[in-house]
Amino acid sequence: MSEYSLNVCHLYPDVLNLYGDTGNIICLQDRMKWRGIGCEVDGLSVGDKLNAGDYDIFFIGGGQDFEQEVLLKDADENKKDDIFSAIDDEKVFLAICGGYQILGKYYKTWDGKQYDFLGALDLYTEGSETRMIGNYMYECDPLDGEVIVGFENHSGKTFLGDGCTPIGKVLRGSGNNGEDGMEGCHYKNVFGCYTHGPCLPKNPKFCDLLIETALKRKYGDAISLEDFPAVDDTFEKNAHDYMVKRLSKANADDPSR
Amino acid sequence: MKVRAFTAITACKFTRWFLRVIGRGATQMPGRVATKIYPDILGYLAKDVRTVVVTGTNGKTTTARMISKTLSDCGVSFLANKSGANLLNGITAEFIANCTPTGKPKKEAALIESDEAAFKKVGKYVDPELVLVTNVFRDQLDRYGEVTHTLNNIKIGIENSPHATVCLNADCSLTASLAEEVDNKIIFYGVNEPIYKKRVKEESDAPYCIHCKYEYEYEYITYGHLGKYHCPHCGYSRPDPEVAASKVIVSDAEHSEIEIDAAGEKFKALINLPGGYNIYNGVSAVTVAYALGLDLKKAVSALSSFECGFGRMEKFMIGKAETRMILIKNPAGCNQVLNFLSNVNEKSIFAVCLNDNYADGRDISWIWDVDFEVLAEMADKLEYICVSGIRAYEIGMRFKYAGIDPDKIKVFKDYDKLLDAISEQDMPVYIMPTYTAMMDLRALVSKRFGYKNFWE
Ligand SMILES: [Zn+2]
Repeated sequence: MSEYSLNVCHLYPDVLNLYGDTGNIICLQDRMKWRGIGCEVDGLSVGDKLNAGDYDIFFIGGGQDFEQEVLLKDADENKKDDIFSAIDDEKVFLAICGGYQILGKYYKTWDGKQYDFLGALDLYTEGSETRMIGNYMYECDPLDGEVIVGFENHSGKTFLGDGCTPIGKVLRGSGNNGEDGMEGCHYKNVFGCYTHGPCLPKNPKFCDLLIETALKRKYGDAISLEDFPAVDDTFEKNAHDYMVKRLSKANADDPSR
Repeated sequence: MKVRAFTAITACKFTRWFLRVIGRGATQMPGRVATKIYPDILGYLAKDVRTVVVTGTNGKTTTARMISKTLSDCGVSFLANKSGANLLNGITAEFIANCTPTGKPKKEAALIESDEAAFKKVGKYVDPELVLVTNVFRDQLDRYGEVTHTLNNIKIGIENSPHATVCLNADCSLTASLAEEVDNKIIFYGVNEPIYKKRVKEESDAPYCIHCKYEYEYEYITYGHLGKYHCPHCGYSRPDPEVAASKVIVSDAEHSEIEIDAAGEKFKALINLPGGYNIYNGVSAVTVAYALGLDLKKAVSALSSFECGFGRMEKFMIGKAETRMILIKNPAGCNQVLNFLSNVNEKSIFAVCLNDNYADGRDISWIWDVDFEVLAEMADKLEYICVSGIRAYEIGMRFKYAGIDPDKIKVFKDYDKLLDAISEQDMPVYIMPTYTAMMDLRALVSKRFGYKNFWE
């Protein structure tokens, strides 16, 4: 058995699974496995009670509007309190698109209907009639400006309150709302963003940041990923750099970028 | 009006001729030229033609090929948009190619393969006699939004086809639900027993009841979300099909043998393409023949003798290598290809060409919803994997995370080098391109290996 291990909780894997987000789980698992770090993944869906103490990393993906109704009721009943305590306890969260919105306070549709969400993060989302869609990239402040690339596809515009900060500045694309030039939200060890693609495989430094943060929280600040065997990131780097190059060359308003 | 129609037809015919002369296959261009001149040209040309529309996410092209063979064996003269240019312009161009300069149809019937978004519009111009819906899966999400959106497009298309008999896949809970939404005459078809002993891991595209959102229960699953479902809460369930694969006798790497039951009349059928999804294609083609009142014996024998389209498992030689080209475009379809490949017993080479142009779907996230992990499990049969296309690195990376040894993943920046490498192999090669990659490859293959005019 490995000396170190992390437990990953994949919330609603059968409901929030729209845009290949499972790739993020595969990526977390593999990058831990390659370094000899143990990793167990549990999928918790509708009807399952969450016990936050069992997990170090939480992942919530995006879903269809149709399916989000199914889970909001369940989240309230079976998971909300533990999600709040886990965030307070500085556990690591990655929430994408629908999952990101759900951690916020509410979603207001463009024709005025309001759906209350979990309220774990100081942000809210408003529906718009235009879709923000396409490859995009942004600077990641927690990674000292390292560029993250991905594919965004959302009609919701997310606005942050004072209780959290954006992940970073949008370089190409829309980001949170297409208005203030920022993408994502960072609060304690929670990362929310619109990055499909999926996000982690071609942004391996982002994946490693999540793993290292969870390790430090569990085993103390002295631990570093550099203490583990190095990982060959040739494919990841090529995939990442290709998109950075392509997006840099494209006009900011080119829809086919 | 007549003058505009004449001008549009002439311009379209000329453009098409010109493109052929300079060596390019049918494109969107001739149809676009015609609709520019006369926007309602399609309605003008289609009004006296008996029209069959094949729509749905997966299986359109192969099913249309099977129906084509049935129609010709039954002596029906017809036109078809078989080049895969299945959007409105392509359909328009096909009608123009099959009419006199004054717009009189030369054929009695038309077989139209139409994607779901185009079908919405096609129904406005033509008055179909029959509509076949194959299935509804997640596809090219950035273009069509979500599955319920796709379903809605089909619903609108059917509403625009008030006189059509509609053949629906009973095993697809999404497709079958259309029956309750429209007033048309409905004929259900399906597969009455499981196909595979072992299936790849795949997420259901429709786990929850379309009416009340409770989770479906299944008596059996054929693949994806297809099977015998029922909702324990509201009672919505798979309707009994009128035409069905009543028995799946054999489904192996070369073909399938099934028993087809058409309203009590039983036929043994041989489908000359492998893969469980081709069983559905076969049954749906026979259902069309049943609905049109054609000779069912001829329809069944067409399944063993039709010519599959390029990119639909068609076999050809690239140098020494016996090659099959299999179009991939969404996770459900790609998983079915893997169901087939994991039954292949010889050592083989795989190549995946991933593009992200508009016609491919700009969002390539779906490659992570495909169970490529089964390829790692059959590593002893896998000589190596080639990756190419605009997003070659990304699909290469996907294979790495699927557990395939990175040394076995070869990146080819251009197709010429890819074909060079393939042509030197003396083992079977399976090329899986996305749509625009397939178009580029087929142009190159015909140029270099003498396969003329794939688009004919
Ligand atoms: Zn129900």
